[in-house]
Amino acid sequence: MTASAISLPHGDGHDHYAHGHDSSGYDSSGHDSHGHGDGHGHVHLQYQPGLPLSRGKLIMWLFLSTEIMFFAALLGSYVVLRFGAPAWPLPHHVHLSEPIGAFNTFVLICSSVTVVLALEAARADKAELAKLWMILTLALGTLFLGVKAYEYSAKFSHGIYPWSPRSRVYEKPDLYYGSAVRARLGEPAMIDRLKALDDTPEGTLSEAQRSGRERLRQIRTMVTNPDQQPFDLAVIADQVMPLASSGGHGHGAGLNDVFPWLRLPAVIPGGNLWASTYFLLTGFHAIHVVVGLIVFAILLLYRLDHRTYGMIENAGLYWHFVDLVWIFLFPLLYLF
Amino acid sequence: MSDHDHHTNPQPLPAHGPVTRPGESTLGESTAHDRHGTTGHGTTGHGTTGHGDEPHGHESHGGIGTYMMVFLALCGLTTMSFFTYSSAWPWRDQPQVGWAFMMAVSCTKAMLVVLFFMHVLWEANWKYVLTIPAAMMAIFLALMLVPDIGLRTRMVAQERALYMPRQSDVRLMERASDTGLPGGSTAPAH
Repeated sequence: MTASAISLPHGDGHDHYAHGHDSSGYDSSGHDSHGHGDGHGHVHLQYQPGLPLSRGKLIMWLFLSTEIMFFAALLGSYVVLRFGAPAWPLPHHVHLSEPIGAFNTFVLICSSVTVVLALEAARADKAELAKLWMILTLALGTLFLGVKAYEYSAKFSHGIYPWSPRSRVYEKPDLYYGSAVRARLGEPAMIDRLKALDDTPEGTLSEAQRSGRERLRQIRTMVTNPDQQPFDLAVIADQVMPLASSGGHGHGAGLNDVFPWLRLPAVIPGGNLWASTYFLLTGFHAIHVVVGLIVFAILLLYRLDHRTYGMIENAGLYWHFVDLVWIFLFPLLYLF
Repeated sequence: MSDHDHHTNPQPLPAHGPVTRPGESTLGESTAHDRHGTTGHGTTGHGTTGHGDEPHGHESHGGIGTYMMVFLALCGLTTMSFFTYSSAWPWRDQPQVGWAFMMAVSCTKAMLVVLFFMHVLWEANWKYVLTIPAAMMAIFLALMLVPDIGLRTRMVAQERALYMPRQSDVRLMERASDTGLPGGSTAPAH
């Protein structure tokens, strides 16, 4: 037997280790370089992980540390852009609802708790209970996405898109804005609809529609007025989609709201950059939520007991991270 | 691993039990796994049995009561940051106070989630190896954006300033909202 750094406590171990010259059997750490010649110098080494955690969990944590940097880059860019911007819309300028955001925060926190409870139940071998918590997690994640979709549709309906061709957001009430309003009002289909609106008898219109029609008439003369003053453009922008006065939340009297088919361009100072960052941040977060839901759906195919504990733990780590990102996104997007 | 034939060999194991290297007798957990591994499917299975087999004496983890306390704390903290939005918040004219407050609340919430829900509180020291460099990189990343991006509007060309949205545009629109239409028609109900 060759001298090796590790000696066996029992000399009669040879007969077991004698066969198999390639034996790296119990030794996955490369210690089998010695003793190949004589056939019975192989020592029984045990696998020794570099870090005291399982491979799956190690990889999940490595992945999460890259995710930390990924979202830190996104969030950092958002903060830097936001505070470097000369004008930034208030949340109610861009139709963000703080209560809805807070509700979504609550939903994600609840789903984090249900994952933890599923893990606890799995450890105690209560597979049915674990499955129940997992289903609840799945439902809460879906609810989060549903609320998010509702919020997105509210943005889209106000012409706020993250990309330019469909976005109807203008940065300031200048001549470019005025000409965009005029161009929209001059579209052939628009002329027909405006004529139909003008011909509609008074009685069939609601109070808001009557006043809206009157305001629309004035705006149509204002955008084509050769003596137009710069301030008139701000008035037009305010009539199309008012920036709610600070403090108040109740607007909705804009012409775009009274007549949704109008779809006139609106002015939100800083709105385009806001839209880009908002959709990028929440979009990447939503993608992470979708991935998490897929993972949970796959987990539901298994029996959730102590044998799947590691899988649930890793999925849970990922899900808590998604929750963590939202914890920062919510105040930054909704309350700043 | 190339030694599956080695392990499928039904040869009985020697009775001496697991072998430990000198100075590693403290890793009782590993020897337990080794015993398991030799009766089962061998070393290749170690990685999979390692985390799925048993929760490694994690019994010191908080338990349901701790998790519920953390949950309540998280709900309370969310309410606190939401409070800055309410009219009862005393520093409405100084948004910086609210921002600092909300960031403090968010960091507290993040710490609670990481420490308790992600079990980091009960993990060994590897947690620092993985999280601290990543966090430092993250902070560095954000700071490096400041000169080019954060300060990009300090000095701009005249032409660019013409098309830039400005706070004066917001004020202009607010003034337009107060004035209403020149014809004196019904102003929108704000």
